[in-house]
Amino acid sequence: MKKIILSLALLSGSLFAHSAIMSCFDNGDGTVTCEGGFSDGSSASGVNFKLEQDGKAVFEAKMSEDSEVTFKKPSSGYTAVFDAGEGHQVFVKGSDITE
Amino acid sequence: MKNTLLKTVVATALLSSSVYAHFQMLYTPNTALTKGETIVLKHVFTHPFSDEHTMDMAGVEEFYVINKEKKTDLKKDLKSIVFQGNHNSGKAYESSYKARKMGDHLFVMTPTPYFEKNEDIYIQQITKTIINVAGAPTDWDAELGLKAEIVPLTKPYAIWEGGSFTGIVKSHGKVVPFAEIEVEYLNRDVDMKNNKMGKSRVEAPQDSFITMTIKANKDGEFTFALPKAGFWGFCALGVGSDKEYKGKELSQDALIWVEAKPMK
Repeated sequence: MKKIILSLALLSGSLFAHSAIMSCFDNGDGTVTCEGGFSDGSSASGVNFKLEQDGKAVFEAKMSEDSEVTFKKPSSGYTAVFDAGEGHQVFVKGSDITE
Repeated sequence: MKNTLLKTVVATALLSSSVYAHFQMLYTPNTALTKGETIVLKHVFTHPFSDEHTMDMAGVEEFYVINKEKKTDLKKDLKSIVFQGNHNSGKAYESSYKARKMGDHLFVMTPTPYFEKNEDIYIQQITKTIINVAGAPTDWDAELGLKAEIVPLTKPYAIWEGGSFTGIVKSHGKVVPFAEIEVEYLNRDVDMKNNKMGKSRVEAPQDSFITMTIKANKDGEFTFALPKAGFWGFCALGVGSDKEYKGKELSQDALIWVEAKPMK
């Protein structure tokens, strides 16, 4: 139990001491890849990721071992959300994602 | 008397030309990208402060990039160009690179040794330039075990104007104590489209401000404050393990470029 609390504390510490970062690019084949990370270089593997349209989640996934998610590009406007917890969310508009 | 005078003039001229140091540029105008994009690099062998002579590059032995510990060869992407300095033009190269992945992209170029007639030696500057996409650090502090290398202790792309840069001079991973390091400011805007150097930004009050020479400490470390935004080159002279090329002395140098950003 102690161990669990300690690891949670460490996890929170690393999340809150550093800012969350996400960068996305259009693969040019109808898919988009988003990469997540933190300003201290820590991995974003397992961090929640979602696509929102009109404020609703239309796709949800977790960042891969390489801190990446690749998804089919939605046909209308969307926002990619890297969700590492409160205060650590990054929003990237689909219209800002280029090749 | 005339003869002595001539000799003095020639000697002074030779001395002056060696005062302005050679720097291998591995230049792209912005090292801190907000998101992934295709960047253009210029590979020019010049004197970045005074720009009094652009050398003809003898070729490139190696050119590659490292991102998230993955090495990609880029030598095939080099294209020959002629680069126009303020006094002459020289053979140079350009390349373009899709810096799409987040994190650091660590470029390393080893040019073919250049024969410097004035000094009767060859010069080879193993050059590093590090760019970052989106602010997540990945490879900037990697030690590559190069023959001559400056390993940064400060992110070379994340320095405010007035901030400082710290590095360690190494050869095959071993520190080089008291290495002599030349420091120069890229005193020009680089016209990326026309492959041309712009006019001087600042004037040096005296020659020792053109190429500033500093020394590493006993642990091979040095720190230098960057008083002005723009690009600064740090070149540790003759620290490489190769000492001879084609029967002549070789100065195998370690060079790193850092960029200070204006606070505005």
